[in-house]
Amino acid sequence: MTATTERLRMTGIVKRFPGTVALDGVELSVRPGEVHCLLGENGAGKSTLMKILAGSYRPDEGTILLDGQPYAPATPHAGLAAGIAVIYQELDLLPDLTVAQNLLLGRAPRLGPFVRRGQRAKLARAALDRVGATFPVTARVGDLPIAAQQLTAIAKALTADARVIVMDEPSATLGESELLAVFEVIRSLTAEGRSVIFISHRMDEVMEIGDRATVLRDGRAVGVHDLASTGPDELVAAMIGEAGELVGATDRPAPKGEPLLRVERAHVPGLLDVRDLDVRPGEVVGLAGLGGAGRTTLLRALFGDLKAQVDARLDGRPLKVTSPAAAVRAGLALVPESRKEQGLMLGLSVSRNAAVGALGRPPWLLPGRTGRRLTAPALADLGVKASGPGQLVGQLSGGNQQKVVLAKWITRGGIRVLLLDEPTRGLDVGAKADLYRQVRHLADQGVAVLLASSELNELTANADRIEVLYEGRNVAHFDPRVSPENVIAHTVITGAAP
Amino acid sequence: MTASTVADTAAQEGRPRARRGADLIVKSNLLLVFLGLCVVASLLAPQFLTGRNIANLLQQSSLTGIVAIGMTMVVLTAGIDLSVGSVAAFGGMTIALLMGSGVPVLPAILVSVAAGAVFGAFMGGLSAYLTLPSFMTTLAGLTAVRGLTYLLTDGKPAEAGGSEGFQLLGGGFIGYVPIVGIIFVAITVLAAVVLRGTTFGEYVYAVGSNKEAARLSGLPVRGVITTVFAVSGALAALAGVLLTSRLTVGQPTAFNGLELDAIAAVVLGGTNLFGGRGGVFGTFVAVLLLSVLRNLCNLLGLGSFFQMVVTGLILLVALVLNLLIERRGARA
Repeated sequence: MTATTERLRMTGIVKRFPGTVALDGVELSVRPGEVHCLLGENGAGKSTLMKILAGSYRPDEGTILLDGQPYAPATPHAGLAAGIAVIYQELDLLPDLTVAQNLLLGRAPRLGPFVRRGQRAKLARAALDRVGATFPVTARVGDLPIAAQQLTAIAKALTADARVIVMDEPSATLGESELLAVFEVIRSLTAEGRSVIFISHRMDEVMEIGDRATVLRDGRAVGVHDLASTGPDELVAAMIGEAGELVGATDRPAPKGEPLLRVERAHVPGLLDVRDLDVRPGEVVGLAGLGGAGRTTLLRALFGDLKAQVDARLDGRPLKVTSPAAAVRAGLALVPESRKEQGLMLGLSVSRNAAVGALGRPPWLLPGRTGRRLTAPALADLGVKASGPGQLVGQLSGGNQQKVVLAKWITRGGIRVLLLDEPTRGLDVGAKADLYRQVRHLADQGVAVLLASSELNELTANADRIEVLYEGRNVAHFDPRVSPENVIAHTVITGAAP
Repeated sequence: MTASTVADTAAQEGRPRARRGADLIVKSNLLLVFLGLCVVASLLAPQFLTGRNIANLLQQSSLTGIVAIGMTMVVLTAGIDLSVGSVAAFGGMTIALLMGSGVPVLPAILVSVAAGAVFGAFMGGLSAYLTLPSFMTTLAGLTAVRGLTYLLTDGKPAEAGGSEGFQLLGGGFIGYVPIVGIIFVAITVLAAVVLRGTTFGEYVYAVGSNKEAARLSGLPVRGVITTVFAVSGALAALAGVLLTSRLTVGQPTAFNGLELDAIAAVVLGGTNLFGGRGGVFGTFVAVLLLSVLRNLCNLLGLGSFFQMVVTGLILLVALVLNLLIERRGARA
């Protein structure tokens, strides 16, 4: 293949993060005028690859050719200047500014120090017309529906005269008809010779809009498929691999007995509708699903952190939880998704963080001394590595920070149900194993555990049962002792029970 | 105390030691600057170190100091209370009117202070339960409560009268020590004990450090925020009561701009405006420092205009210094 037939060629891209290799020699080739789909499970490396392309990350190894020219962006700005526009899932628009202001942010036509507003409106209008948008350029972006915001983001990419446009799961926020409109825009873009890299989990969309697809798995490109001659089943198989054997599944017998937590229904209109989910004492139930499938929403609903209609029983008694404080009193504990923003007070010490949940009862005096005394056993059991209980928790490693969050609940005591939301995010392999050992230890003491993770192999290795959520519903459940990981992965991606 | 802290720190790894060292420098920094200023003052103005001058100084700084202690607790939760000046004036007027109409001292004081607490709880509660910025709710309070204060007497001062005992409260001395100074010290110590020695104090730091994490840990975040504003309101009203006691007259125009003096002391004292870090001892020293500065300017015959410039510059220098020391600590 010569350079002229290729818009973009990424060769041997390697990106390492502490404790993990995110990309391990990835190849990606995109032609002019092509819709190239990028497929892969959570954590396969799609986002990392696109961040390298955009200039947000520097690759450790590998080269990129853009229209035959070497391309090594140092900043996202350089990437944009070279003609790479990325439309992220979380739209990077300024909600308080108008559409016109957003479209030409930093590039508005000027006359001396003054913005030429008429000229800017004209340019913005032209950009909106190209994507077939009819809303006014004077609208405030925050007032627009999500689909219109998405179109604005695409139009913004066009004002930069991009050669390659990356769309990261645009369908996650769009409805059916809005998606069709976006597809129309994609087709007109490729008709002009621009290339589109389209990231999606949904096979039907990929089959409809894509020309070719590159499948990533575990940081490697495992295949390039011509979508005209490839079926969705084949793609799914490529994404989840051929490994049919049971990977490190737990060898314990499944806990028996009456459920400790029984969720008859957890309902948030438009987001979540989970029915009949039971967790027995000592059982670890894994929640699998794609991003946005409702794992976090379910845990937050159970913890009273979200307006939701929850019909649940704890130990046979109705569980009425209206706030996190009430949930904690009822014996629920949450290890939230973002430990730095939701789990810890980074500016306070290890022992103050670990003690904060346990201080809500007498003695009310000497919280410092009481806290150190109360937290010492949990911190020691968990093996938290800190220079001392007085070290600021913000200075610990991710794994130790997560243990402090766990120590907070162990110190408080009386936990009946432990809710874990992506507890191993950003941890290295050793820290992950350590954390799961502690979770298992808690389960062995009779705690019911709900474990949400996007890492299916962690669920199969650590859960007694796996519930698959798809678009807010629990569509199937699996026993990891008998169900191979690829079967579960198939359901995670397609939402169809085997 | 210092020795054991150093020994503890020495046992730790590099980063925390640097951080703690930085904290220590920041803390003692303020104290050193304060002592240095006192030395300079006594050299420049021989009258400075007289018992009478020191007594006056303490008398003048105590009311602002009492308010600044309440403000410190609010700021530790990442809030701000702009209404303290108005609430203090309201407290001063309330007690004047109550005493003037023959209510005994103790109930009169209690009612006045309670009124301040109610105002504070209302503004703090609005901020906590409706997630409004406390800057806005207390800005509204600043205007509305000042207006209410004027309405009480149609803007005229109110004669408090009262017993000699009541007048001693705000204006009396034990030896050279003003009674308001003793009250200021007592409140500082009490606040320190509450912040460092009780579960409630721990919650204050937790809420200020990370509201979201505190909430998801099951802490009564809204209750904590409402309470610190109630405390701030009560202490502001107490300052008003003490002023009325000294002047024997309630002035509806009193304490204009008090909130800025209090915030200046809190910030100079090293409490982080974004919450979670700091304490009342820093505020205590900062209050004294600012008032020594003012006193020195007075003794040197420098006008109040000059004083304002100097105070502003000192604040700026202190903030930049703290930032630099903290940055170095974080980098090391």
